[in-house]
Order: sequence, then structure tokens, then C-alpha cells
Amino acid sequence: MEKLEKIMQDTAKHFLQEQKVDLIIGYKQGTIPLRTTPCFVTKPEDISQLVWNVCCDHDLTNFLLQPEYKDKKVGIIVKGCDARALVVCMAEGQIERKMVTIIGMPCPGMIDRKRIESELEPKEILVAEITEDQIHLKGKDFEQTLQKDDYIQASCKSCRYNNPPVCDVLIGGQPIELSFNDDLDEKLAELEAKSPDERWTYFTTLLSDCIRCYACRNACPLCYCKECFVDQTQPQWVGKTTNISDIMFYHMIRAFHVAGRCVECGACTRACPMNIDLRLITRKLQNIVKDRYGFEAGLDPNVPPPMGTHTMEDPQEFITEPE
Amino acid sequence: MKEKILPKEQLPQILKTLLESYKVFAPIKKNGFYVFGEIETPDEIALNYLNSKIPPKEIFYPRTEVLFTFTKSPQGIDIQEAINPSESRVIFGIRPCDAKSFTLLDKFFSYGKFKDPYYQTRRENTLLIGLACVNPRSTCFCTSINGSPFGEEGLDILFVDLGDKYFVKSLNLKGDELLDQLPGLTPASEKDRFNMTELLKKVLASMTPEIPIENINTKLEQLFDEEVFWDQFSQKCIGCASCTFLCPTCTCFDVVDEETSSSGKRIRLWDTCQFPLFTLHGSGHNPRPTKRQRLRQRVMHKFSYYPKTLDEIGCVGCGRCIIVCPVNQDIREVFKALQET
Ligand code: SF4
Ligand code: SF4
Ligand code: SF4
Repeated sequence: MEKLEKIMQDTAKHFLQEQKVDLIIGYKQGTIPLRTTPCFVTKPEDISQLVWNVCCDHDLTNFLLQPEYKDKKVGIIVKGCDARALVVCMAEGQIERKMVTIIGMPCPGMIDRKRIESELEPKEILVAEITEDQIHLKGKDFEQTLQKDDYIQASCKSCRYNNPPVCDVLIGGQPIELSFNDDLDEKLAELEAKSPDERWTYFTTLLSDCIRCYACRNACPLCYCKECFVDQTQPQWVGKTTNISDIMFYHMIRAFHVAGRCVECGACTRACPMNIDLRLITRKLQNIVKDRYGFEAGLDPNVPPPMGTHTMEDPQEFITEPE
Repeated sequence: MKEKILPKEQLPQILKTLLESYKVFAPIKKNGFYVFGEIETPDEIALNYLNSKIPPKEIFYPRTEVLFTFTKSPQGIDIQEAINPSESRVIFGIRPCDAKSFTLLDKFFSYGKFKDPYYQTRRENTLLIGLACVNPRSTCFCTSINGSPFGEEGLDILFVDLGDKYFVKSLNLKGDELLDQLPGLTPASEKDRFNMTELLKKVLASMTPEIPIENINTKLEQLFDEEVFWDQFSQKCIGCASCTFLCPTCTCFDVVDEETSSSGKRIRLWDTCQFPLFTLHGSGHNPRPTKRQRLRQRVMHKFSYYPKTLDEIGCVGCGRCIIVCPVNQDIREVFKALQET
């Protein structure tokens, strides 16, 4: 990955120097082991800050939609999922293709630092070194080596488009193939086989810890509404409490709002401080859309999202005549 | 002030005794992280923890709490207070930084003429038994904010883990009285005291070096309008509430009414300066329309307004905001940048 990091830096630098872009949105080293942090580079001499490694898990597309970059020419580092989010934003008319320079990274899958940290606690990681297939960790009184493949993020294991489907340049020129075992659809099938009551219990238990910090919404590149339904006060659509009914209302409506749009980047689940895994919900909705409309989000900026358009052939057997 | 020794294997006995007369809250492990929860048996406790994900402020100041309920009738409106005299409680195993946060919360909830009865009734009936940190995280910076991993502020009793036994210290009259009721304690010796001091030295030496924060409030005031200074941090902020909701000293709340045509309730909820809605006026004007201003507010409130109004820094250095932030916003970077300006 160091090789790709260098090519990425050179490419980004070149774009800045040629004034093809005003700024580059990428990743730099974070302040804690196993973490990177978003960074915004405007000067070619600062380009060496940029890093590329298996901790580059933020979905940077999120930043592109912020008002301060509206009239800027932005270069952005994207993985497969980030590029798909970008494509959705373009298909929905939020981002103009000509304003972004997409620097695509073939993604080997990101590692799940939250799981590593939680499995190790009360031991704390002070130094982490990551090689091609191993993660070496050091702390106060311990040293430990993990197999990288055992700690790939769940959303990366189920990723189907790890190479950006749309980009201006693919760093390294070589797409990567992933072959992780993913059990998300199995888990979904298990859930689907349950009775409505059991499913209700699953959802209420899953969400009962939610503190409504909205990190999931704010980290999501596709939750870009200027005013979210939960923030509307006139009228107020959703109760504000952390009683389970209000929590469920928030999550179910948000899930509907990303149906046919969600690219399963996992940003929502990763951002959640309470470790709430929303992926079964998002996967279910994407499966339905795929099933009914043969559509997968984020692959072609010229195809309108299925929920934002209709054709006479759309399946509609769920629309019933009043009896 | 009493100093005692408790062999570790006696701890369950102590907890059992506490459970006989108190509701006991202690760290427990849940969903891969630690929180303070009510325990019913000694073995539920998970003392081998760094710190809890959710700060124990929740015990006194819940996320959602009904203040009163009301019913409407032709005769008028009938209001039922929801303050219940709280049962006697003990929080066991709380970290010194979190205990200190209660001294700040106490000030906030009794500032000026008005005392907050909801917070106060729970707080007054609760004893705090602390557990010193022998293994502080690298993100802990209590020592930079006049705190200590062995800090005593806000606590009634402090436990220090000496390996095979605890050094147990009562810190006020309430603590003295409680210690008298607990079984299995023997007086601490000079040697135990020495061991504890040595341990503290070792722990302090192992911590991330202190961050100088003198004059931080005057510096911050001067930088109030420096957009570039704030942008370097706010640029990557996604504006969620994880830093503030999970901060032991953040206290901002919202009050909402939920009603039907005949009855309803008034509810208090955690709120945060990080949401645009927090400052949105009825007119549609928002005095803090951008994340730059909202991030600045979080920093200013803790490190400038708090020192000004309460003569104390409104942060205890627990490092939770650093750990939970989805984009790795690290408040220590703000201090560093302040040093450099
Ligand atoms: S809902 Fe979650 S997984 Fe889907 S696009 Fe948004 S952040 Fe990514
Ligand atoms: S990030 Fe987690 S805790 Fe916060 S609102 Fe979303 S699900 Fe709830
Ligand atoms: S900040 Fe200090 S008191 Fe709090 S957990 Fe860390 S070492 Fe302990």
C-alpha cells in the first residue's frame, strides 16, 4: 500500500500544481493508533500529509456536499464505496461531475479498529504496525499480532464494488479482487425467517441503546438534506426522546430515506459510538430495490434513482383496490 | 478520614453488604463496551475497565426524563410532579475524573437562586466510591486539568488497587460512616501508604505528558473571531453529538411537551450545542449557523465561559470525546494550536 500511497500523493500534487483542483480531500494520520482523520490539502507542499492504508475508512464524499466547497474544484480520494456514494450524489443532482476530480483507490478492505479495541480492553493499543496480512499491536505490557483478514470491517466483507466504478484516475491502475466470507445475507435470511414479534424484538433490542447523537446520519454521505425530518419543528414529525418508539421512528424513516440510495459503505455503523450495527436494515432495503427494480445504487451517474422516478412497468401488486 | 486495607477476595462481601441497603451502580460490560448499570449481584461488576463509554452523569441526569405530567379536565389543568424521593444509592468503581465532573454538575444544577430538584434529589442520596486509575489511557489528560488518576474530588471513598488488595480511603464524614459498616477492612499500615504513593508516582510517570493550558481562557477570547483558527478543526467535524452527549460535564438540555387532547407530559432531554437546532430562533435566524461556530462554542464553553463564571475549567480530561469522535477530532490538538499562536 505504501507504493500506492506514493502514487496517490504524486497524482494529488500534480492536480494541485496544474490547478486542476483547488483542494484535495484525503486522509492523514490520526492522533490515536489505527485511526486516520480527514484532511484538506490546498498547498502542493503539504501533500506528504496524505496517507493511504487500511485505516482510511471515512467516507469523504460527505464533505463534498458542504456549502464551503460548493464552487470549488475539489479532488477527492475515494474507495469503491465512497465513489458509489459520489455517483448517487451526482445522479441526484447534488454534485456536478465537472467540479470533482475523482482519485480512485483500489480498496483491499478496511480494518475494524472498534472491534480490535473492544476485544483488547482493558489493554490499550499504543503502537500499531500493519503489514500486508498482519496487524502488530503494542501497549504498556503486551504485544500481539492479529491476522488482518480476521479483522476486516463487516461492511468491507460484504462489499461488491471495492474498486471505484467511476473515477478520473485509478491509482496504480490495477483493480483488486476481494474474497472475504460474508455472512450478512445469511443473517438476513435468519431474521426474515422469524415471526413479526421476534423481528420486532430484534429491532428494539438493537436500537435500545441509541442516544440519538445522529452520528449515523451525519456520517452518511447520502443524508445530505439541508433540514432533516428529525430537526423539523413546524410541524414536529418525530418525538425527541430516547424512548424506544421515538428511536424506532427515527431509524425506520431514515432507513426508508436511504432505500435504493444506500451504497452500504458502513459509515453509519462505523460512526455510531454505541456500536449499533445498522447493516441488516440497509441490506434488506437494498435487496428489495435490487429485486424489484434491478437497481444497485452508485454505479452510473446517468441513471436516476428508482425511488425518484417511475415507469409504467414498475411492479405495483402491493397497491390494492379498496374492498 | 480513615485508611484501610481490603484483601481483594473480600470485595464481593463488601458489595453484598452495600446491596443490602443501597441501589448499587457499577461498571458492567455491555455490547462490547462498559457502562454504569445497576447491579444485583457482586459478580456482575467489571472493574477491570479503563473507563465507561457513557459517563455516569446519566445516573443523576438521564437522557430522557419526565419532569411532570398533566391532565386536562373541565375544572382546569391538574399537574403531577414527577420528582420521586430517590432511594439511597452507591456508585461503585467510578473514575476520579467522572467523580470530579459531578462537582461541576453540582454547580450547574444549583447555579444562582434555583436548584434543580430532579438532579439534586438523586445526587444527595448517592454515595460515590471511586476506583483510582492505575492504567490511564493515552487519551487521558486529567493531570492537565488539575485532576489526578488518584484524584479525590467529589468522592466519599477512594479505592486504590495495590495488586492483591485495595487501599481504601474515606474522604469525608459520609465516607467514614459507610466504612464503619463494611466488613473485612483492616487498618492500613505505613508500608501500605508508602506503596500507594509509589504507585501514584509510577502511574503519573506513565501518562501522556501534561498539556500546558495556562491562560487558556484569555487566549481563546482573543481568538474568538479568527475564522482560520477554528476552521482547521471544524472543517472535518460532521456535527454529530457524540462528543457532547458522552461528555461527563456537558449539561445542556431541551424541554419538550408531549400531549394528547386530555393529558400530557413535560420532558427534559439531553441537547447539544453541536446541532444547528440548538440555537435556531423562532424568527428563523440562527446565531450559530455554521459548524465553525458550533465547534468554537464547545471549546469556549468549557475552557473560557466556565472559568469565567464558575472559576473552574469545564472539562475533566477523561478523553471520551477524543475516543468516540467518528472523525478523530482531538481536543488536545486545539490546546496545541493555542500554544503555538
Ligand atoms: S446508510 Fe449507512 S451504509 Fe448506507 S450510504 Fe449511508 S452511511 Fe453508507
Ligand atoms: S450513531 Fe448510533 S447512537 Fe447515534 S443516533 Fe445513530 S444509531 Fe443512535
Ligand atoms: S482522565 Fe484521569 S481520572 Fe479519568 S480515567 Fe483517565 S486517568 Fe482516570
